[in-house]
Amino acid sequence: MSTAPAATGSGGRATAARPRAARYLRPWWRGRTAVALAFLLPSLVALTLLRLLPGASAVWGSLHHTSLLSGEAFVGLANYADLFANADFRNALGVTLLFTLVVNPLQVAVSVGLAVLYTRRRMAGGKVWRALVILPVATPPAVSAVIWSVIFRPEGGLANALLAAVGLPPQGYLTSPDQALASIIVLLSWIGVGYWMLFLIAGINDIPAELYEAAELDGASPLRAFLHVTLPMLRRPLSFVLVAATVSNLLVFAPVQILTGGGPEGSTNLLMFDIYNRAYALGDMGRAQAEVVVLVAVTIVIVAVQFRMLRSED
Amino acid sequence: MPNTASDAPARTAGPRPAGRRGRPPLRRVLLGAAGAAVGLAFVLPLVWVLTNSLRPSADTFRFLSPVGWETFLTLTPVLDNYAALAGTSLGRGILNSLLISAVTVVAGLALCATAAFGLSALRFRGHRAVFAVIVVSFLIPFDAIAIPLADLFRDWNLQNTYTGLILPGLGNGMAIFLLRNFFLAIPEELVEAGRLDGLTWWGVFWRIYLPLSRPALMGAGLMLFLFQWQAYVWPLLMGTDADHVVGPVALAAMQGQFNVDYGLMFAGSVMLILVPLVIILALQKYFVQSVSTAGLK
Repeated sequence: MSTAPAATGSGGRATAARPRAARYLRPWWRGRTAVALAFLLPSLVALTLLRLLPGASAVWGSLHHTSLLSGEAFVGLANYADLFANADFRNALGVTLLFTLVVNPLQVAVSVGLAVLYTRRRMAGGKVWRALVILPVATPPAVSAVIWSVIFRPEGGLANALLAAVGLPPQGYLTSPDQALASIIVLLSWIGVGYWMLFLIAGINDIPAELYEAAELDGASPLRAFLHVTLPMLRRPLSFVLVAATVSNLLVFAPVQILTGGGPEGSTNLLMFDIYNRAYALGDMGRAQAEVVVLVAVTIVIVAVQFRMLRSED
Repeated sequence: MPNTASDAPARTAGPRPAGRRGRPPLRRVLLGAAGAAVGLAFVLPLVWVLTNSLRPSADTFRFLSPVGWETFLTLTPVLDNYAALAGTSLGRGILNSLLISAVTVVAGLALCATAAFGLSALRFRGHRAVFAVIVVSFLIPFDAIAIPLADLFRDWNLQNTYTGLILPGLGNGMAIFLLRNFFLAIPEELVEAGRLDGLTWWGVFWRIYLPLSRPALMGAGLMLFLFQWQAYVWPLLMGTDADHVVGPVALAAMQGQFNVDYGLMFAGSVMLILVPLVIILALQKYFVQSVSTAGLK
């Protein structure tokens, strides 16, 4: 009631000023929610069916046990308890933790180093060399796995041929329990490092040149300029890269499934592959769903913590 | 407007910014050598794959001991392996990947852009709740829920169908988020002016928002494309029959065979890398901007 006169008033003024403003008299905003929901509906349906529903179904499935005899029965957290008592799962958790703690700092450190290297102004042919590092980014993970499987062949592979050229003995790579995980880290970093470098180069290019000039006037060495200018100014892109790398590396699956099947001796049994194995090779859906819930929860916690940190820095 | 005439000559005639002082050329050369060494190390596997895709399969491992220039280069390239792709499962897979990615980009952009418009141009009661749904949906990593979703898709009879392969690529909360951030920067006065001129909301979306948002649309389109082109878990669960196999799955299946045709495998790998590479290089600028801002805002 109270808004009606105001609306008429402003409408009247608008009419006086511009002839076509007569439309203002019609309460078009009344239909706004309806219009907005119509625009949003297709995506909301898609996201609900394709993301939220399977998430909910994983939670539901993780709390139930399905058997041919008794059908579906609610078992509470028994699947989770079984899972954490399971030696394969605990091994997968350990392998994933080790992998996470190695691959992420490694990829971020190398991509920072390369971003700094390739933003030096006075490098001969810098743009060309930088493009060469970026090229592998286009390789899908499964294709990278296939290519590196040939490179890593213990007999007649490119990697051992290059080692032989510098007089080093051949290595087992994917067939060795000590080297398989490291070999997978290499083939993932070959794609990943160039990708993360792109964001860091963009971040470095956004740093005002005056900061470096001031540092130079103060007599700061390049190392000090990196520590006190580049790194602090790169905080945001760095956090983004660290989280994005962590999440994408938690979900590594193709190289394990294609190359090692989790072996040798369980040394590459990352969580995603363990879930796949549990669901299909072992046919243990309830516990596989519990494992999905654990993986999703870990991912969401990592991302949420990072979002918090970015927010509070503003 | 009157300023431009006096500005332009000042800019060209004025002194160049600082930082042009001479440095010893040795340093330039050393930096260049470091940059070149790293760049070549990264590209070496690709060169090896490309060269062997242009060589008969029998010669794949011929030039490895000892390693020489012929390991990485060939003077007699042949395209036989590429011709042989036609009619193989791998060739079919690459075509399927192209089809699935193309449909996903078009349909996904339509879905994501309309949703972003509904969230940004139209302030409505409850938009926060809707936005929360979208954020939650993209916090859930798709690969992790692929197995429960595959169970649902089997119940819905979508296994080994193009629909089953395409659908998961359409609901992309990240693309919505990115487009919404871009749309929020479009001034409200434009919307009001458009409405006053008699545009419907669809008209505002189609004639004002979309034409102004080409960079963001390209970034979101690339995201939708790469999601499908690089997909492996989902197609492995959903489409492995001869008609619906996708490139990466067909390639991985070759790797497990007893007698591998390496020339063919490398030709397929080159195709699977080349398609996104050309697109990424063309859109590089938009991609970095879009993904980094979407992750930060």
